[in-house]
Amino acid sequence: MGTIIEASATATATAHQRSMTPGALELADAAARACLERANRTAEELDLLINAGIYHDKILSEPAFASLIQEDIGANLGHPAVAGHGTFSFDVYNGACGLLTGIHLVDGMLASGTAELGMVVASDMDPEPGISQGFRFPGVGGAVLLSADDSRAGFTAFRFATFPEFAELFQSAVGWQEDARGGLAGHGRNILTVEIAESYAARVLECAEATARELAAAQALDLGEVDLLVATASVPGFADAFARRLGVSGERVAPLPDGLSSAHTAAPAVALESGRLAEASTVLFVSAGAGITVAAALYRA
Amino acid sequence: METSGGRSVNGSEHWMAMEGGTDASPRDGGYTSRFVGIGASLPERRLSSEELMASTEHQTGIDLERLTGVRERRIAGEGEDSYTLALGAARDALAYADCAAEDLDVLIVSSISHYVGGLRWQLDPPLSVSLKEALGARHAISFDISNACAGMVTGVFILNDMIRQGRIRRGMVVSGEYISQLGVNAAREVRTVMDEQLASLTLGDAGAAAILERAPEGAPGIEVAGFTTLAEHSRLCLAFPAKIGPGVSMYSDARTIHDVGIEDTVPMLREALDQAGLEFDEIDYLIPHQTSTRAIQKGSEEFYARMGHAPKHVVVTVNEFGNTSSTTHFVAMWKYLREGRFAKDDRVMLLAIASGLEVGIVIFKVDQLVERYGHDH
Repeated sequence: MGTIIEASATATATAHQRSMTPGALELADAAARACLERANRTAEELDLLINAGIYHDKILSEPAFASLIQEDIGANLGHPAVAGHGTFSFDVYNGACGLLTGIHLVDGMLASGTAELGMVVASDMDPEPGISQGFRFPGVGGAVLLSADDSRAGFTAFRFATFPEFAELFQSAVGWQEDARGGLAGHGRNILTVEIAESYAARVLECAEATARELAAAQALDLGEVDLLVATASVPGFADAFARRLGVSGERVAPLPDGLSSAHTAAPAVALESGRLAEASTVLFVSAGAGITVAAALYRA
Repeated sequence: METSGGRSVNGSEHWMAMEGGTDASPRDGGYTSRFVGIGASLPERRLSSEELMASTEHQTGIDLERLTGVRERRIAGEGEDSYTLALGAARDALAYADCAAEDLDVLIVSSISHYVGGLRWQLDPPLSVSLKEALGARHAISFDISNACAGMVTGVFILNDMIRQGRIRRGMVVSGEYISQLGVNAAREVRTVMDEQLASLTLGDAGAAAILERAPEGAPGIEVAGFTTLAEHSRLCLAFPAKIGPGVSMYSDARTIHDVGIEDTVPMLREALDQAGLEFDEIDYLIPHQTSTRAIQKGSEEFYARMGHAPKHVVVTVNEFGNTSSTTHFVAMWKYLREGRFAKDDRVMLLAIASGLEVGIVIFKVDQLVERYGHDH
């Protein structure tokens, strides 16, 4: 039995301008709905809904963002008088590796039979444009729908690694700052600050390569077999540079479109929009983010 | 009986995502997971409800202790925050579990609050990276989850699934909640007993950790774990960075959460107990989420009336620790284990009812845990 990707979808801020600044929730909702539609599924069929996005509207910390998405898309909202099945939703935070981490958790619960259909949704949006400092991720949401298939391999291996010696290279936090612009308090406000060091791009490549090669060695994978590389790290140009380091042809890289090259948690779903998953037989997913944390997964058609 | 997802081919259905029990999925591997260490980290400083209410900016007339039963709560001191409380609890749990951090296959951080270095809310990297490093859990897959006050129980659900399948042997879920500052913010704004920030005045700081591992064949452990999200109530409690000062503010419709929580939990209790092949009175200790003594008492009475049975004991610790959000169940377990209040053959139910609306239930036998805390009765 394998965990397969039934569908994926994205929603961008530029395409969803019903409001001047659509929030992360609107993007997540749109991506989730589009994903279900592509798979000819309904929200009621979902057993599991995981949000992996980090930069929420209002930087909401409670409830789980996933529960808001669940309500918005109408996935088994309340216990009915008749028998049925519900949806369990929660958030996973693992930086830019969150979407693959969520897929790993869904994979486990599909394999155990705890769930039959799961979706991982991720979106990020500057919660306070003009106030936040250093926020440079494009507003985009992504969703990946997963189910078990006895006839296909799907995700066959995952590998996760952390490199805490580089933790200082990518930091983001909300903290109180005295601010002449005042805010409601009149003297300051809580402000999101994102700081990414110049050296992060080089270090994240090294960490990602080490982890990908470990996965390949453990799975006896010849990297020459990889016919689709989905590599993301919130850094423009990461996928091509990473492919060169691995010796994978640039033609086999799932590209991020202009304007979304520094997409954060939704990036793997954005890369899948290239539509090349259906033709690929050996897919290597690699995501890297703050920590430095790296997640790698092997997917076989 | 073959089961797939929440549905089985014989027609029985689960509303909850369910692990274990009488018609468990044949794909789940057949292993049993069990708790082998519960740790906690409580700040030394205490703040009474009387002291907190004396600090309110407005004359509220609220007798918080009489209203909620919260006599006092622990308050993080200098140098303490979500991270340090989580780290202290994780080390405590490892000591009771008698295992090394490098024996952990998975490390899950489930705090709602992510304060590192005072009131600095860290978003990237996840707290699990630095916690893994500090503990020396070098083989562990690590990540953070967030599921409101059900976060730690959600972590147990995830680890239980992995252990039952044989994917991992041992994992830890840990939370550090530095949330007393919500009470500080609420004290500046609360005016009446109907205020949406009233619940923030009941909060206290604590770290808690739980280690689960694969049980030896035939040994008892977690019998059933179930979870669901009734998202029609997802917006009844919202927390985000405060507008009036450092930290967070939380706005909740506590009365409605309580009412729908009780109403919607009853069928889930039935489902989980049916799955375990148990009646409610076969539960020796019910550990509910700790919001207020009145809410626990009222909720328990409703459960007894609807279920027709009552568990033998209901654990209440909110009076001395306040509501410590995601850590409450495990702070309570830790206290009872240390005080020798569980017997080896006791059966415990953890009941999480949290913003979302999340309903999570874990039923397990205490077994060897009592011996790890110096008790064998």
